[in-house]
Amino acid sequence: MKKLLLASTILAGLTGAAFADGHEVKMGVILGFTGPIESLTPDMAAAAELAMKETAGKVLDGKTVVAVRADSTCTDAAAATAAAERLITAEGVVGIMGADCSGVTTAIANNVGVPNGVTMVSPSATSPALTTIEDKGFFFRTAPSDARQGQVLADVLKDKGITKVAVTYTNNDYGKGLAEAFGAAFKANGGEIAISAAHEDGKADYSAEVGALSAAGAEHLAVFGYVDQGGKGIIQTSLDTGAFDKFILADGMIGESLIKAIGKDLEGTIGTLPGSESAGAAKFKEVATAGGLAKNDGPFMPESYDAAALMILAMQAAKSTDRAAIQSKMMDVANAPGEKILPGELAKALEILKSGGQVDYEGASNVTMTEVGEAAGSYKELVVKDGKFATVKVR
Amino acid sequence: MSNSLRALLGFGTFAVLLFLVGHYQSWNVALAILNLCIISGVMALGVNIQWGYAGLFNVGIMGFAALGGVAAVLVSQPIITSAWQAGGSGVLISGIMLLAVILLGLLAAKRMKSGWFKMLTLIIIILGGYFAIRQVYDPAVNAIEADNPAKSGYLGGLGLPILLSWIVGGLFAAGVAWIIGKISLGLRSDYLAIATLGISEIIIAMMKNEDWLTRGVKNVTGLQRPVPYELALQENPRFIEWVEWFNASNLAGLSGEAKATALRNLVVEGSSVFVKLCYAGLFSAVLLIVLTLCVLALASPWGRMVRAIRDNEISAAAMGKNITRRHLQIFVLGSAVVGIAGAMLTTLDGQFTPSTYQPLRYTFLIWVMVIVGGSGNNLGAVLGAFLIWFIWIEAEPAGNWLMQYATQWMEDGSELKRHLLDSAQHMRLFIMGVVMLTVMRFSPGGILPERTNTTTIKA
Amino acid sequence: MIDFLNALVLFANFVLIPGLAYGSQLALGALGITLLYGILRFGNFAHGDTMAFGTMTVVLITWYFQSIGISFGPLPTALLALPFGIAITAVFLVVWDKLVYKHYREVKAPPIRMVMASVGVMFAMNGIVRFIIGPNDQNFMDGERFILKARAFKNATGLNEGLAIKSSQLLTVVIAIVLVSALFWFLNKTRTGKSMRAFSDNEDLALLSGISPQRVVLVTWILVGALATVAGVLYGLDKSFKPFTYFQLLLPMFAAAIVGGVGHPVGAILGGFVVAFSEVMVTYAYKKFLTYLVPADYAPDGLMQLLSTDYKFAVSFIILVVVLLVRPTGLLRGKVI
Repeated sequence: MKKLLLASTILAGLTGAAFADGHEVKMGVILGFTGPIESLTPDMAAAAELAMKETAGKVLDGKTVVAVRADSTCTDAAAATAAAERLITAEGVVGIMGADCSGVTTAIANNVGVPNGVTMVSPSATSPALTTIEDKGFFFRTAPSDARQGQVLADVLKDKGITKVAVTYTNNDYGKGLAEAFGAAFKANGGEIAISAAHEDGKADYSAEVGALSAAGAEHLAVFGYVDQGGKGIIQTSLDTGAFDKFILADGMIGESLIKAIGKDLEGTIGTLPGSESAGAAKFKEVATAGGLAKNDGPFMPESYDAAALMILAMQAAKSTDRAAIQSKMMDVANAPGEKILPGELAKALEILKSGGQVDYEGASNVTMTEVGEAAGSYKELVVKDGKFATVKVR
Repeated sequence: MSNSLRALLGFGTFAVLLFLVGHYQSWNVALAILNLCIISGVMALGVNIQWGYAGLFNVGIMGFAALGGVAAVLVSQPIITSAWQAGGSGVLISGIMLLAVILLGLLAAKRMKSGWFKMLTLIIIILGGYFAIRQVYDPAVNAIEADNPAKSGYLGGLGLPILLSWIVGGLFAAGVAWIIGKISLGLRSDYLAIATLGISEIIIAMMKNEDWLTRGVKNVTGLQRPVPYELALQENPRFIEWVEWFNASNLAGLSGEAKATALRNLVVEGSSVFVKLCYAGLFSAVLLIVLTLCVLALASPWGRMVRAIRDNEISAAAMGKNITRRHLQIFVLGSAVVGIAGAMLTTLDGQFTPSTYQPLRYTFLIWVMVIVGGSGNNLGAVLGAFLIWFIWIEAEPAGNWLMQYATQWMEDGSELKRHLLDSAQHMRLFIMGVVMLTVMRFSPGGILPERTNTTTIKA
Repeated sequence: MIDFLNALVLFANFVLIPGLAYGSQLALGALGITLLYGILRFGNFAHGDTMAFGTMTVVLITWYFQSIGISFGPLPTALLALPFGIAITAVFLVVWDKLVYKHYREVKAPPIRMVMASVGVMFAMNGIVRFIIGPNDQNFMDGERFILKARAFKNATGLNEGLAIKSSQLLTVVIAIVLVSALFWFLNKTRTGKSMRAFSDNEDLALLSGISPQRVVLVTWILVGALATVAGVLYGLDKSFKPFTYFQLLLPMFAAAIVGGVGHPVGAILGGFVVAFSEVMVTYAYKKFLTYLVPADYAPDGLMQLLSTDYKFAVSFIILVVVLLVRPTGLLRGKVI
């Protein structure tokens, strides 16, 4: 056992030392490859790596950005910190695309990212609390804050004339944060929250939760959870017991697998998902298909692509792989002025930057960073129609 | 092989492993591993007190560690006055009411004659008290949680230095342990295991759902630190000078821009290392204090009595020793040590996240450490903690690498290969279970077995 | 009158029927624990994961059957796979006994050592199950899902409230009754069963009278395997199969066994229903129920919920503590198998 460990340690050391090769620049990709959102992360990582592939051999006079993956586990702060520590100090990554879940993202930013001066761009950490962390300008996100989604959802319901809902959320910082943001916005719009109750993911039985939710006397149930976790169970149980048949879903619940599992009872369900129907979003689908990705429109995939692309462009704009230099150029490439850049045009953007020009990266998710370095964000209003999520409009 | 030689060999191996990580990966990674090793060591000592000294089987280590984490939040976070104004008095009043109900209930239980009337009175006291408390508690909690929910929404702490929380964490854990012990010690030995398993899950559930106390699942981040911040160090001229002096030979060949960049990188790296060394110093101090106390206690008359009880309860009872009292004492002490370690862990993480507390990581892994290291032997428990944590951390890359090696001959893209690679992480559970069973079966004493002064006679 | 009926249907739909099914599943699980407790004299922490293992084998065999086109008409295919699953699980348990527990029996180790060994086994099994089938949800229910649908009931009766009965719920109750009757018949009427009871009552006396301990141990593990697999499969059919959930069932099952009186089969069944119904009833919000019953002016504003659903599993623990405090021997006294 000890010999084996020794061997593996040395092996790990050797791979760690390989970055001395001058043509490769390492970028960390920290996502929850195990844990509650393990079904989403492989596609997100693939999208980020697509941006790197697209620019291979074209960054900073012939360099290639390569991804080093690490597991954030989505829940275990200690494990995520350890993984980030390894990426930053042993692998020597220049920036980090990640992390995903808000809790571990905060831990990495506070304990490793900011102290080491490494730029982090999260594609999916949506907790409103992240807006105000002490990040010294090193933390960015391409996903909008849940405070915004809560507002959008409340507005959607107002337009539909729904004035009373029951809310159930997955019991973590994402679910709770979103439920609170939505509750405040919905009340401000004159609505009434009949009950707001948590559900734990990974339970087999949700009949007690559904019983309590239905007792409150609302006709609509808003589910802020995960599509392959408790959220699905809540919907299934609600339909089985006849407690609810009208649902409102937030981004974590949007997925074709839900429709596949539940079937036609879901018809008419309303939902919101970050994203847009802009030229960029359509372009991203083309690029993803051409790049051989398994999916071309999964949740948070555009944001992941954009996160990686932003750092690559910032690197070129800074004309350096220095960590601090990358950070200093992030806002410049993300916002106007400059030429608008869509997915698949990264090579063009690199050329412009090389010759001293400016770019305004639009990307797949319409990136515009607010002062604190997060996406202002647009949302798609969705409705389930003929067994598919169809976009009604963009808000 | 004598025990001291084994100990030397064991800790020596650990040092070499750590050195290899430091040399080939990075010193930051090595120090990060070391810090968690030390914390695990303290936790393992706590468990060793319970199992090694008295044969008490505690399956709720996770809960006691989490209580330590709560202490860190409650001691160090600033007071949030607006939340106190909104619902502080309500929470306090309901706390007092709770105490009153418990006292009244105990009084009734003690003073009244058994029978249906006593039962009825008790039920009325408990149910009536419960509803009365809810009347005060619910609005107060709602008010607190509505107070700026995105950022605070809880009462905050006392704003005291976080180091103090290490002691408070121990006290919290001790208090809860006393209650559990009172209920389940003295009954069948395995009832304690079930009771601790249950209470640890309930403690975690409370932390997830009582937002007014610790923000629940929204987590408390950015906890105070007992050591300097990296960013402050990086701007501190003294520190920069010091790094320059330390790396003089490396920087000698450089000049101008190149030197400045190299120095800046060294300062950044150095600040991380420095902070981790500070933590390592603090944690080692705690470990040494606890270890010394444990060793002294075990060698004292008290330690002999405790071991006598463990080895033969009946004859110890015949000698007039109060077994249940001793067990309670040991259970409380051991849990307190676990609570201290839990507070240390939260301090190191810099945030309190209730959802990280998983039984596998916080209960079972600690048990493997104690069993492998040597139950009943304090130094053994610490050694076990060091080695097992190291293996736990390095098992992920090693396991992946092994699986990759084992599936090399298979076709790329085959379903079986993909499945095996994806499942590699679950082997960790299996391996840890097998390690524990194997050591229990074939080497019940662990790497460093318990030392006994008398020669053991094999039955 | 209509209101009264509405309240009744509401209560049946959200409390009575789920409670009955859940109680039967817990009772079967608790029976396995109590049997092992009575005969091998230790609390088996690996019982939840034994259930997971048994269910996993059944799930895999079900998938195989489905792939070759075997089905069981309106009933779930899993029922056909059940006997194979039980056989595999029983062999699996006997192997673990040989590898682990046998040693501790031979050296007459204190029971706490056995409990600890079972924790080790629990984690090893945990790893095996996840390695083979993965940590995710598996749904293996097929056949007719409903006996009575909520909407159909509403339309038929004209009541406001619906009543849904899932076929898995009815199956659970029926199979539990059949299995428990068979078990009692076995323990009370057959020679092997009687020798097991004798062994449980007084080990030394049983040995003196020529009962083979190996045989008793073997039969015990087979029975435990059967009970665990059936309980797991019924739970999985009714809800869904996920390894972690099965691990978490350990606490309510232990609570049921202890509440009923450890080592007491009737107690285990009673305990199962006590735990299940308290869980459901304590966390149910009675607002709607009471609104039907009382005059409109007195209708409650709050949810009328005793305990938030977040603390659902705390209920089983609280019952456990109360029983330990008030009546440590459990509701039914004594160790009688």
